[in-house]
Amino acid sequence: MKILKSWLNDWIDIEDINSNDISEALESLGFEIESKTEKTPNYKNILVGKVLEIYEHPNADKVRITKVDVGSKTYEIVCGAWNFDVGAVVPVALPKSEIKDGFKINKRDIRGVESNGMICSASELDLWDDHSGILKLSSETKLGSDFSTIYSSNDTLWEIGVTPNRGDCMSHLGIARELSNYFNLSLQENSNELKPNIENVIKVNSGRIKACNSYQSIEIENFKLDDSNLNIRYRLSAVGVRVINNVVDYTNYVLHDIGQPLHAFDRDKLFGTISVRFAKDKEILKTLDEQERKLDTNDLIITDDDKPIALAGVMGGYDTEVTDKTNNLLIESAYFDKVSVMKTSRRLNLISDASIRFERGIDFNLQKQGLQRFVNLFENEQDIFYSNIIDSSKNAITYDEVKFEKYEIEQILGVELDDEFIKNTLTKLKIEAEVSDTEIRFTSPSWRYDLERPIDLIEELAKHYGFNNFSSTLPIGNNLNSKGDYWDKRLYLSKILSSSNFYETQTLSFTDSYSNELFTPEKTSVKVINPIDRSQEYLRTNLIPSLINIYKFNVENNNHSNRYYEINNVYDDSNHKIFKDIPNQEYSLGLLIPEIETVDDDRVKTKSNDINSLTNTIKKLFPLCEFEQLSRPGFHKNYSYLIKLENKIVGYMGKLSYKNKSEMELEQSLYIAQINTENFEFKQLEDNIYTPLSPYPYIKFDLSFSVARDFQASDLIHLIESILKENENNISIFDNFTNEKTRNLGIRIVTRNYDKTYTEAESTQILEMIVKEAETKFKIKLNRRAENAT
Amino acid sequence: MAELNFDKVLASLKLRLDEIVDEAEFDDVLKEYTGKDSLLSVERKKLSTLSKEDKKTYGEKLNNVNNSITSNIKKAEQEFINKKYTSLENEENEDITIDWITRRGTHRHVISQVMDEVVEIFASIGYKVAFGPEVETSWHNFDALNTPDWHPARYESDTLYTDHNLETLLRTQTSTVQIRHMENNDPPVYIVAPGRVFRSDQLDATHSPVFHQLEGLAIDKNLKFTDLKGTLEYFVKQFFGENIETKFIPHFFPFTEPSAEVLVKWNNGEWLEILGCGMVDPNVLEHVGYSKEYQGFAWGVGIERLAMLKYQIDHIKNFYENDLRFLEQF
Repeated sequence: MKILKSWLNDWIDIEDINSNDISEALESLGFEIESKTEKTPNYKNILVGKVLEIYEHPNADKVRITKVDVGSKTYEIVCGAWNFDVGAVVPVALPKSEIKDGFKINKRDIRGVESNGMICSASELDLWDDHSGILKLSSETKLGSDFSTIYSSNDTLWEIGVTPNRGDCMSHLGIARELSNYFNLSLQENSNELKPNIENVIKVNSGRIKACNSYQSIEIENFKLDDSNLNIRYRLSAVGVRVINNVVDYTNYVLHDIGQPLHAFDRDKLFGTISVRFAKDKEILKTLDEQERKLDTNDLIITDDDKPIALAGVMGGYDTEVTDKTNNLLIESAYFDKVSVMKTSRRLNLISDASIRFERGIDFNLQKQGLQRFVNLFENEQDIFYSNIIDSSKNAITYDEVKFEKYEIEQILGVELDDEFIKNTLTKLKIEAEVSDTEIRFTSPSWRYDLERPIDLIEELAKHYGFNNFSSTLPIGNNLNSKGDYWDKRLYLSKILSSSNFYETQTLSFTDSYSNELFTPEKTSVKVINPIDRSQEYLRTNLIPSLINIYKFNVENNNHSNRYYEINNVYDDSNHKIFKDIPNQEYSLGLLIPEIETVDDDRVKTKSNDINSLTNTIKKLFPLCEFEQLSRPGFHKNYSYLIKLENKIVGYMGKLSYKNKSEMELEQSLYIAQINTENFEFKQLEDNIYTPLSPYPYIKFDLSFSVARDFQASDLIHLIESILKENENNISIFDNFTNEKTRNLGIRIVTRNYDKTYTEAESTQILEMIVKEAETKFKIKLNRRAENAT
Repeated sequence: MAELNFDKVLASLKLRLDEIVDEAEFDDVLKEYTGKDSLLSVERKKLSTLSKEDKKTYGEKLNNVNNSITSNIKKAEQEFINKKYTSLENEENEDITIDWITRRGTHRHVISQVMDEVVEIFASIGYKVAFGPEVETSWHNFDALNTPDWHPARYESDTLYTDHNLETLLRTQTSTVQIRHMENNDPPVYIVAPGRVFRSDQLDATHSPVFHQLEGLAIDKNLKFTDLKGTLEYFVKQFFGENIETKFIPHFFPFTEPSAEVLVKWNNGEWLEILGCGMVDPNVLEHVGYSKEYQGFAWGVGIERLAMLKYQIDHIKNFYENDLRFLEQF
């Protein structure tokens, strides 16, 4: 919302207060400063002149020659505008003056006639947007005076944010009321009593509808549709309202001045009684913007005896609008319920300055004042006739007194506020209150919807005390050194993966049904009913397609083939495991390793991966896990495994099927995994028990066995570990050679006794025992052996 | 007595040493000149035939010659070795300005890093991480947080729903975790809840349908507005540095009262909003059945916002495109 310093000054005397101090005040009261503009004239040396004569230009049809009196002298000026006659008082730019944006005015020959400057429009002086012609000033303006002295050009404009609970601050009066406490200034009264001089023609009945607590109207005769005065046009254009004519301008002015929306009808197009009701389904109303609106039963409308005439609080009807043929007016000033206005304005996407104010809730006692202000503005300009105000109000809104103990203030805020401050603030904010030694009783004023409970008033006091005036204390919570299992797991997984060349990704949670079907056809997807993008209307059931997309994106755009992981939720339509009424969600880890990986050392360039690169990574993450082969959709027939931890399935992994690889137009095979991190606890990952160090020298054997194709190396390692279980061991596979006929497995055993140095004979004995047991148990054959091999 | 011409011997030694190409030859030379079959040994054998006086004189001379041969060889050997090392080191002369290792950053996504950092700060003052579902009931996302049923945030233009009755939705704020946590845990509560939230926005420079928040909640006996201030000032200083200026301005959130926004003064003098906070509204505590003796405060901070400020990232889309050129910078 935009506010002007000069306008605020109508309500409180802040002319001499520095605008930076006002900014600080606004902010500390909770109005965010979106912008602050110091307004200065965008012109120089413009004088006020009067058109004395107008005559034809001998060589041009589209311009006229005028003789203009600027007090001391008269000048001949050629002018292209036709919206004025002899006698008009206008702003004149003589040679050596400047108009908008520093444009310098000089004498100029226009088709053989010398023009001594120009007569200016509002646009040319950067006052407001107006292309209808030159700006006409009041005939009483003193000729020759400097235009900048009759037009308030030095001003400050703020654009501020008003929080949705403060509808009462959507006007200059509302803001002034808040500032009056801050600067300790008193608030002016600005309405004059009316003296009606005609009878009412139209009756009003606001009906039984709760959504319209009050409907008031006044009728005006003998008015002239004209421009509103300069000051009103200046103020409205400064706060961003388009200047139209006096009737429209005055309704807008009242709205920005005190916050009461008004609507002007052409009275002679109304018949009988104005009333308020909800529309019938499919009832039609043509609104001001000439759109035929199809209404429904949630739309509150204004009707006369014949027809709907306006959408309450949202927009007037086309048929009853004020035009240049209008002779008599009926001005509406009503209180409409915020929910009804909100529903209609959102549904029809009609959002106006009025609807925004009704939505936030306007003062339910402001309707009469709204009409008074309107008439006062008109009276100042024209000798109009007007009726009594018809007031069809229900007075259904009342606020109860709220009371609370004074110690509650300290209990919430941590500081004690003294009585003087409390009383002063409440008085300035016009909140009726009684403050005793122990208790505060208050009643909310008609414009405050946000003061229902003790906490509401405590907040109000805190705000006016100034948040930055409170002291600060640092309490310590009850969870020292514990971030919780959820976070520990996340950090553990990230730490290992990020140090193993994986890049972490964060991708959107939305996907298409095809991607979900690919790897998890057993799951039903959760669908977003109002998706941002129809092609991405499902929530992902696994992380693999997102990882593949990122992989492909970076291959295509950066020519890098990398490992990726993501830790985020996946969703499906089964019941949530803990909570009622929501779909299942699993915090998951997704992994992707490409067959050929770009490594981060340019001397090496790439590195090859195989299924073991993936299984080894998973072993590193879950040292105690086991794999069980199980073909899953989307995966390679053999390279597809369940990952189990203490016999519980935590996820699955494998190689992308060749079919998918080809359909996804991937050049390389991918190794992928999907792990549910909610199926294990952080403590299950720890495998970090100290192995004592033997002080004795090691013995080392390299053994090479000829084994069957489907032999599992881990079986051999487990056997050797069990034979050497009393020792400190390091057993590893150093070779796995396979060709069409044979497979050779090379295993290296490094072992130390805890009590002695092995003799050569003992060493040989151990070796032979291992070979014998392995050959017997697995039907494998030793090819080659080397003792103390290097 | 016919004395050997020792100068000649030493001269021949010098020539011999100059010819050496391998370190091992020095031992051979030493043997050749001082060993069993050397000229020196032959001369020594002659000593027994000499008079006592001559024996002494010649003996001394032979000793001197022996010393001088040995020291010459030692010296030459030392020089040879030094020269070898020098030439080895001279040969090694890589261009160290070549950057072969292309790995940059930590390989963790910047959003995760910022979340970790914020969690770490609150963990240091006794907060634990809590989490809750992302697909939530409307009740948890709105009603329990004191948001009236006519509130615009509930419109389908703002919130993504997963059922036609508008009863389940993608949470629009991590504040839902406050409710979930309090429903399942008794006070005192000191938690932070980092996580994803969703809005109906297209992905562009300043919006994303998915973004991250961190919600904080402290409920205990006697937690006051002054404690809220102290806690968030501590966070801001830990995150942005000791010298950052902070101010609190009043704001409105349905589920806190009083509510405030925290602004920090940026390098260019501009004040920037970084988080929203407030004293938990009594209605919220009542919804979860906490007794009246407990009260506290809550706050929410946008993780992308912090990351953008900290690293001067100007485009939200960067976070979710996962372009390697972006990922590897952090």
